[in-house]
Amino acid sequence: MNKAIPAKLVEEPAPQRLYAAQAKVYPREIDGRFARLRTSAVFVLLGVFYALPWLRWDGHQAVLFDLPARKFHVLGLTFWPQDFFWLAWLLIIAALSLFFFTALAGRLWCGYACPQTVWTEVFLAIERAFEGRRNERVKLDAGAWTRAKILRKGGKQAVWIVFALWTGFTFVGFFTPIVELAREVPAATLGGWEAFWIVFYALATYGNAGFLREQVCKYMCPYARFQSAMFDQDTLVISYDAARGDPRGARKKSADPRALGLGDCVDCAACVQVCPTGIDIRDGLQIECIACAACVDACDAVMDRLNYRRGLIRYTTANVVAGKPRRILRTRTLVYGSVLAVLLTTFAWGVAHRAPVIVEILRDRNALYRESPAGDFENSYAVKLVNKTDRAQRYVLSLPEGAPERIVSNTTVEVAAGAIGNVPLTLRLARSAGSRGMHAVTLRVGTAQTRELAVQNTQFYRPEVP
Amino acid sequence: MRDSGRAAWRNWGAVAWPSFFAAAVATMVFFALVDPVELAETAWPHVAVSRELGYSLGFFGFWACTAASSLFTAVLLGKILALPSRHETEPGA
Repeated sequence: MNKAIPAKLVEEPAPQRLYAAQAKVYPREIDGRFARLRTSAVFVLLGVFYALPWLRWDGHQAVLFDLPARKFHVLGLTFWPQDFFWLAWLLIIAALSLFFFTALAGRLWCGYACPQTVWTEVFLAIERAFEGRRNERVKLDAGAWTRAKILRKGGKQAVWIVFALWTGFTFVGFFTPIVELAREVPAATLGGWEAFWIVFYALATYGNAGFLREQVCKYMCPYARFQSAMFDQDTLVISYDAARGDPRGARKKSADPRALGLGDCVDCAACVQVCPTGIDIRDGLQIECIACAACVDACDAVMDRLNYRRGLIRYTTANVVAGKPRRILRTRTLVYGSVLAVLLTTFAWGVAHRAPVIVEILRDRNALYRESPAGDFENSYAVKLVNKTDRAQRYVLSLPEGAPERIVSNTTVEVAAGAIGNVPLTLRLARSAGSRGMHAVTLRVGTAQTRELAVQNTQFYRPEVP
Repeated sequence: MRDSGRAAWRNWGAVAWPSFFAAAVATMVFFALVDPVELAETAWPHVAVSRELGYSLGFFGFWACTAASSLFTAVLLGKILALPSRHETEPGA
């Protein structure tokens, strides 16, 4: 018999909207102390980026990460793949500096130095040049596609694309000699991969700075997600002084806000309009805030006009707002600072004291050992010598004093500047010597002036039983 | 754009972007230790492989791996290519 199952259909709730429709942010142009600081940061950083690959040093490109040749040139220094350790060290230093400055001064990086901010500033400036100020841009986007709109939008896009391509070209110029690259582009003899990476990087610049903008900071940037871990109550943040500003409200310039029961905030929303990430800083510190201080400039300008005191929105710390003293030296900054100092010192020392020659020894793969006519034991090796200096060198191979083996092959080898030399090496151990089986030997490489520039260990084999 | 469309874009972005980042780091570390020309000589002695080609192949190879992993995660979390729920497939629902 069929029995009805006491079940009833429960309406599934309507799918929840996880994402609010993204409103386009039209940051308003702003002038002020921090805007000028950011503009100068843009000029310095982009100036360095675009000019650096053209700089010459001793007849070669000053900064060239020569991937095809597997050598990195940084001013007078040449780094080999074997020096990758120091590159990793440098990256750790960079990461730790980010921690240090974040703990000290909040998101300084985001507001002034991040490539995302810097290139967005340039793309915004181009947009402004073609489409006008904020209100004009809003109107232009809302309006019909007239001839003027097509010209303005088209002009902007054209300049954006050229600028992005130039950026891609410069980027690739850090990895392949830029002078050759500049010759290859007009002659259309560019290598396929070079062309590809120029276009790839241009697309990335265009997409990030022209199209995605603040969304990169809000959704893509890992730093934005974990920077709060470096924050404490003494970290410099941009903050609205609610005690002073609220209750907000419009008033006449002549009116006394106290008599009206108002705070200093006139609710003009200038701070919201200038915000590149489209937030209201008066709602408190938010993850979207990149600490660019545009709202500080905007608010200061309004305060000046009303003859109010500046700093309703300002760089401050949570402790200062709460009336506690400002503390710069604290456990967090001291720990970050001292670790950073140690890393920097070791980096400088290590890079300055790199061995000028790299020695690699490969054992002969065919024969474990050989017996000489006199009954002594011989092992063969291939020695690779990398001359990291920019002068030809004459290297001398030797064994440390007291070693039972001796070198019976050539002990001197010429290696050109920045080149790799290969030399066969044969070691001989007398039958009468004590050491048996596989045992370590140390090879010294030096020059006529310096006996030891580098050492390398390898193994010598003689049978256990004669 | 509709909300669901935006959410879908964002999910694909969350697959593409971190995997790109991880692939870039992996490429850097790998090719700091391994010369693509030497690798190619050992692996395919008859094919001429330039360093640029080696680096680029390596990068896209890494990216394919990391993107596949991210994509798998997104699928398991039901963010991408999720089967439509019963509610949506039922006629007249």
